[in-house]
Amino acid sequence: MMSAAFLCCASSNAMAALEVFACEPEWASLASEIGGDKVKTFSATHARQDPHFIKARPSLISKVRRADLIVCSGADLEIGWLPLLLERAGADVQRGAVGNVMAYQYVPLLEIPTVIDRSLGDIHPDGNPHIHLDPRNLLLVGKELLNRLVLIDEGNSDFYKLRFAQFETKLNTAIARWLEEGKQLKGMQVMTKHKSLSYLIKFFGLEEVASLEPRPGLPPTSSHLAKILESVGSKNVRAIIRAPYESDRGIDWITSKTKIKNVIIPYTVDGDDNSGDLFALFDRSLAILKSAL
Amino acid sequence: MLRIKFAVLTCLLVILGSSPLWAASDQEVELLRAEIAAMKAAHEERILLLEAKLEEVAVAKVAAKSEASSDEIIAVAPIRPATNRRQIKKNLFNPSIGLIFNGQYTQHETAEGEIAGFAVGHEGERGGEGFAIDHTELTFSSSIDDKFFGSLTAAIVKHEGKTEIELEEAFIQTMPGLGLPTGASIKAGRFLATIGYLNEHHTHTDDFTDRPLPYRVFLDGGYNDDGLQATYVLPTDFYAEIGGGLFRGDDYPFGGSDGEGIDAWTAYARTGGDIGENQSWRLGGSVLSGKSTTGRESNHELVSYVGDTDLYIADARYTWAPTGNATNQEFALQGEFFWKEEDGFYSDAESGADSVLMDDSSEGWYTQATYKFARNWRFGARYSQLNAADVPTGLIGSHLDGEGYNPKAYTAMFDWTNSEFSRVRLQYNREELASGQGDDQIMLQYIMSIGAHAAHKY
Repeated sequence: MMSAAFLCCASSNAMAALEVFACEPEWASLASEIGGDKVKTFSATHARQDPHFIKARPSLISKVRRADLIVCSGADLEIGWLPLLLERAGADVQRGAVGNVMAYQYVPLLEIPTVIDRSLGDIHPDGNPHIHLDPRNLLLVGKELLNRLVLIDEGNSDFYKLRFAQFETKLNTAIARWLEEGKQLKGMQVMTKHKSLSYLIKFFGLEEVASLEPRPGLPPTSSHLAKILESVGSKNVRAIIRAPYESDRGIDWITSKTKIKNVIIPYTVDGDDNSGDLFALFDRSLAILKSAL
Repeated sequence: MLRIKFAVLTCLLVILGSSPLWAASDQEVELLRAEIAAMKAAHEERILLLEAKLEEVAVAKVAAKSEASSDEIIAVAPIRPATNRRQIKKNLFNPSIGLIFNGQYTQHETAEGEIAGFAVGHEGERGGEGFAIDHTELTFSSSIDDKFFGSLTAAIVKHEGKTEIELEEAFIQTMPGLGLPTGASIKAGRFLATIGYLNEHHTHTDDFTDRPLPYRVFLDGGYNDDGLQATYVLPTDFYAEIGGGLFRGDDYPFGGSDGEGIDAWTAYARTGGDIGENQSWRLGGSVLSGKSTTGRESNHELVSYVGDTDLYIADARYTWAPTGNATNQEFALQGEFFWKEEDGFYSDAESGADSVLMDDSSEGWYTQATYKFARNWRFGARYSQLNAADVPTGLIGSHLDGEGYNPKAYTAMFDWTNSEFSRVRLQYNREELASGQGDDQIMLQYIMSIGAHAAHKY
């Protein structure tokens, strides 16, 4: 046991790559964009896992304990497991420390509730935490990640700055293209399963006419679905969009009675076979939405 | 301004293009077109600039907000009536407060429910019948400063007709800011010791209404004592954790500590990991060792014990969830094995045994499985069994004489979880705790929480 411990540490020192613990794949991907081979990223969840509901498993404890930098969405998205993991992590990645980035703090948040009460469902008091689906937020969070990487690993600061500048240019160009190519999506009426796609909806200017969850986090009820179906007649709803980890409960019922399509948006990196990085994620989301028009 | 000019020009162009009276030359049209294109470009640039500015302001606003603690944001963000705007700043540092409601209705088939061959403490006895509220837990917790965290859990319980407050936990714990090596932490005060699997969990997080037989007889439900405990997560790629504690030795399976010296200690080691994407596991081994100096009372104060007790526990847990996503489906398998060695003197007021030497071991184990088959629904089954020690002649006929019988219990449960804050459970037990005795039990239970609710451990 002791020799194993010694070996692992000796090898990690030799590599000297910063260990980045990301709660979600999008942040691992963003950290790789900026950190390149100077960082070793690990994502606690993958695209088919609901980041609200994973467990503080033993394997995650060992990962977080070795992390130099933690990047999470925050805004209570990881409240069920991150606090337990942080208890086992180092001082430099605790709340408020240089190695702790809670992405929600650096972007304008949507859906900040004015009333906070548990009878209203799964409420996030700080606002909707699924912020990465507006690519402009990736720049804001990326800027902060750059600041932190420079502080933690000063020796490679030029490397990080250069990579961020390249990423920024590439993303700005892509954003302009997405907005241009997504023009026809403006005003497209959609329904959602959960409020996990709000930022994407805002970015492309879609119109969310209803959510199948009667209240955030509560599964659809038949009376709520009936109400939705009733209201559909007067509208021109093209699709029900959802993340890969969200169940299709209730969706089939509505799509079988209407011409509304059942559409899965990749939601995050590797959400489907054609979403291998952040750029592909938005390319793919755009293509899926356009084909649902 | 730009927008109006643009509109006017567009109108002009339309008029020019459609009116035969103003049959302008191609050259003039081209000129106008070029001018419009230039204006359009300027217009777009201006909009982009304004958007960038807007983004800057938004970011500055967010940055300013992020400097305040999240608690403050919650307190400040909602729109309130003017009369309610007075801020009481001292409240911002209030600890998190959580309350657990736990009530049940129980029905037993037989009047007798004693566990043959074992010394059983108050919490390990069969619960009462009818409507009852079990432990109502009140938890206060908060970071104390940059280096310490504090937590208190008090249970309001009814004991022999009186409502009492039991101090389940009152501890402080070091935070990473203290400068201990990464992965190390020290806890001091009264707390549920880190041994086995269930012991460090509060009962409201259990998968069944009651604790399995070995917990009832060996730990009186759970071992929480006054002491000090150190834990350390090793810096290995796989999860490995070790730890140990020193305790007063006042809680079951010890008791009657006169406070001179340290009467009990613990040690544990754990490891765990993932198998592919769907499966996770944890294995652990632990020791609880100590002595009862002035006498540990059990079996309604009829049995007392003075001597050494060593308890060895092995625990395992395995979970499976499709793609590691436990939202709608999860299977969990868990088991613990206990081996207890006692070397001391038993007295039994009922059988008349007086300080009879007993040097022997007893065992117990349970295994349980739960399956979540839909987002809000689970069912589960559990089997637990005990193997009593052989008693010396002096203890024949006493509470410790199990007459070679191995007590066992079969359990099935079904529960509905509306949210992480509320759960309703139906449980059936078949307990065969003494030779020729069988008891069918039905329990209907609710567990609900308000206020702050700490995340549940794996």
